[in-house]
Amino acid sequence: MKKALALVLAMLMLLTAASFAVAEEGQTLTVVAWDAETTPYLAAQKEAFEASHPGVTIEYVDVASQDYAVKTTTMLAGGDSSDIFMVKEITDLLNWQEAGYEEPLNSYIEASGYDLSGFAGIESNYAVDGEQYALPFRSDFWVLFYNKDLFDAAGVAYPTNDMTWEQYADLAKQMTSDGVFGTHYHTWLSAVVNWDVCDGVNTLIDGNYDDLAYFYELYQSLEDAGACMAYDEVKAAGLHYSAAFENGNVAMLPMGYWFVSTMIQAIKDGTCSFNWGIVAVPHKDDVAAGSSFGNLTGAMINAKSENKDLAWEYISWLAGEEGSIATASTGTRPAWVSEAVAEAMASADGFPTDDASKAALIPTYVGIEIPASEHSSEISTVLNEEHTLIMTREYTIEEGIEEMNERVAEILG
Amino acid sequence: MDQERRIIYKRNKTRYERKKELIAYSFIAPNFIGFAVFTLLPVLFSIFLSFVKWKGGDFSTMEWVGLGNYAEIFKTAKVAEKGLGYLFTKVDLGIALKNTLFYTVITVPLTLICAMALALALNKAVKGAVGFRTVFFFPYVASMVAICVCWRFMMMKDGPINQLIMALGGSFNKSWTADSGMAIWSIILVSVWRNMGYYMVIYLAALQGVPTDLYEAATMDGANKWQQFTHVTLPQLRPTTFFASTMMIISCFKIYDVVAIMTEGGPGRSTKMLVTYIYDEAFSNFNYGIASAIAMVLLVIVLVFTLAQFSMEGKYANN
Amino acid sequence: MTQLAVKKDAGIARSPLSVVLKALLYIVLIATALFTLIPFVWMLSASLKLDREVFSYPIRWIPETFHWENYSLIWSKVPLLTYFKNTALIAILVTFIQTLTSSFAAYAFAKLQFRGRNTLFICYVATIAVPWQTYMLPQFILMRSMGLYDTLWAIVVLQSFSAFGVFLMRQFYQGIPTELCEAARIDGLSEYGIWARIMLPLSKAAVATLVIFTFVGTWNDYMGPMIYLTRDINKTVQVGLRRFIQENSSDYHLIMAVSVCSLLPVSVVFLALQKYFIQGIATTGLKG
Repeated sequence: MKKALALVLAMLMLLTAASFAVAEEGQTLTVVAWDAETTPYLAAQKEAFEASHPGVTIEYVDVASQDYAVKTTTMLAGGDSSDIFMVKEITDLLNWQEAGYEEPLNSYIEASGYDLSGFAGIESNYAVDGEQYALPFRSDFWVLFYNKDLFDAAGVAYPTNDMTWEQYADLAKQMTSDGVFGTHYHTWLSAVVNWDVCDGVNTLIDGNYDDLAYFYELYQSLEDAGACMAYDEVKAAGLHYSAAFENGNVAMLPMGYWFVSTMIQAIKDGTCSFNWGIVAVPHKDDVAAGSSFGNLTGAMINAKSENKDLAWEYISWLAGEEGSIATASTGTRPAWVSEAVAEAMASADGFPTDDASKAALIPTYVGIEIPASEHSSEISTVLNEEHTLIMTREYTIEEGIEEMNERVAEILG
Repeated sequence: MDQERRIIYKRNKTRYERKKELIAYSFIAPNFIGFAVFTLLPVLFSIFLSFVKWKGGDFSTMEWVGLGNYAEIFKTAKVAEKGLGYLFTKVDLGIALKNTLFYTVITVPLTLICAMALALALNKAVKGAVGFRTVFFFPYVASMVAICVCWRFMMMKDGPINQLIMALGGSFNKSWTADSGMAIWSIILVSVWRNMGYYMVIYLAALQGVPTDLYEAATMDGANKWQQFTHVTLPQLRPTTFFASTMMIISCFKIYDVVAIMTEGGPGRSTKMLVTYIYDEAFSNFNYGIASAIAMVLLVIVLVFTLAQFSMEGKYANN
Repeated sequence: MTQLAVKKDAGIARSPLSVVLKALLYIVLIATALFTLIPFVWMLSASLKLDREVFSYPIRWIPETFHWENYSLIWSKVPLLTYFKNTALIAILVTFIQTLTSSFAAYAFAKLQFRGRNTLFICYVATIAVPWQTYMLPQFILMRSMGLYDTLWAIVVLQSFSAFGVFLMRQFYQGIPTELCEAARIDGLSEYGIWARIMLPLSKAAVATLVIFTFVGTWNDYMGPMIYLTRDINKTVQVGLRRFIQENSSDYHLIMAVSVCSLLPVSVVFLALQKYFIQGIATTGLKG
């Protein structure tokens, strides 16, 4: 007993001496981001910024994307002084603003004469009462990915930039054969019905969800025809959409633009080896071709930062043209749009070379997935809960939508 | 105790007694100081939080709302109008309460019975007892993420478990986690599977403390094995059962990780639990006041359970 | 019921009934063991497969070819050694402090009289009931102001003084007859002496239990390290594992390989300590 105790103590002392070192301070900007190690654009941004700003080091605080909300909220509430926080969800921006974690940016914008026109208005999603609190550096909209090799093998013409949902459904059924699924839906609500906001009128926070029925019906007809994997199985197996598509037996996949860089990487790493392309997502008859929905990613300056001027230098660079070119070079779509940026996107190493894919880079309209409002996160919880009931067919589409309407009405008061 | 009586009490106490008390405190202090600073204080603060509206940030942004958070989670206005049924079928808190209670009521006895049976079986000379012990404890050691992924897969539509059910003559043609009725059972199954080895270890340790001569005496009195079990083993294990059931009730009320990985509270709200609800309110809606108020509901329920158990334990101890 | 069968075995006579019961006992034990092991077998077999073979139907329990390279692959992908070192350090420290202080406090709660005993104990039990998510924020603010954020000490102080240990040890000490302490007091032993010479040796099985639980609990803790540890050199196995899962979300074969690796150290601790479950008080001749 005593010997064991002595041994433990000795080991402890050794280990203690070896660890608990304090990190050295340096001339660095700390940027809190998710999955920093595996996200190609973060590496490209860091490299380009450090090259153009000698003496400054960007240090990422890496948080797993799934834990990002919890970790960042705790950090901010605890008075963390990391200089910059990436804004993952638009709703976070509102909450952080309310808690006073964000440095207001208007004075910086005025002082430096920063030109916001490159954002074409979308930066207003990050403004509260006319005050800008973050700058967007990524704007992902949804596109339709397809596996060219499968279409070639079946002798079917590729999807186009102007398809209705009916045409898409027919194409999916046509492409379905033994072992091949015509299309693939990830389990998210956004992957199945968010198309409703492409018309520029509807939003997911307006409290009326009757129009979602069209997309649920479309989905169920595809599932019944065996043209896509059943929701039940995708969910239970925890199948990641990238695995599903990279596996090579899925002809089409509606997914966010971020998946472009994943595909480029997958081809580079050799995890999959087929030809692929993108086109605009299909549209309803009465909605213009090329309409889509998407989400913003931005960066804000921590009100507790001690290097605010340098931090401003960084985020204004990041969201501006130079940073956007770095971002675009990895196949990620920046929020800043200019000819140089569009050029960088189309010439990203590994991006499909066909004209249709290039044309798909310019959507005609991009709605916001779920716009920021006081109730956005509560509403999205409700919608997601009812979504699972409809998808597992516990509820009929009508029942599910009725519940959505009812419960959201209650939230909206 | 009022002032006067306290003085009398103090005066009557001998130095010896006071010294004894000091010694007792010195035993408690090392643990209690750490506990008070790092757990008790924050908990007290969160009790306070349940009465304010706060979205984080500066403390000055807090707004005292009294019982407002509680009225909000219980939807008191609506419930008063539509009756109690509304609370348990439509209100998040009611549904989470119902689910959590159901889960706890099934999981606790099931786990403890399995744990005790395993411990009794392994306490005696069974060939390969060491191997069995290790195997049964193993689930507790495993990382939840990997394990839950694996269970979810096994409970898939055409997965091994449904195949087994079919082989046994039953039929279930859906993934367990995708069915409102079965989803909660999938969580119960994984919980029992994971925890029975843990509580088996506690029972095993307790069985070491049962003096063998009690059995000898019982045998001499002519008790059969079943009587020995009910008159010697069970009473001797009572403190342990008390501990195990208290701990287990508490941990069942706090169930989070299995749900988060297996079902995410779905389908619909069929596996929404109190802590999943707290988590949503705190980290997606940033309503710390509301989240704390739900936690207090949970705390009160658990305290009632625990105090009831304590008083029962006290009665047994006195007998 | 199982007790019945086992007890019979201790006797010399072997009636046909006892043989049947014994066989039944083994069948039940083996069936339960199988039920317990299936997910692990699946995990192990998945860790030796190719990516696309993991979810194939029907399940193939033994991989076509064994892909041992999965294991070498993960060592090159994750700094597992750093994670192991951090986690081991935290787990050992926590286990040591926890076992020592809680058995100390538990002795007072179980065997000594003092004012406020019940109130204090209820405080301990009540805090177990509060989900950590609700007091995480105030606790974080406190830890930060003490300069413990992003140091391994944060996890050490977070885990070391849990109410669980005090509660567990108190229950075990209550089972030890008070007469033993009285006798020792008459023999002139101080309270500290009684704790060290009588209570601790008599509660080997309980201490082993607490050590196992604390070690396993700390080893498997995810939320604490996730919130408090930020720099890579400070990360623990579970944080590393989760991050690995996030970053390789579709590589289930690798995820399973990492999971298998993270299992090994805790299993060793359990195997090393479980011998205390067969040489407890029963063999020391203690009378009730």
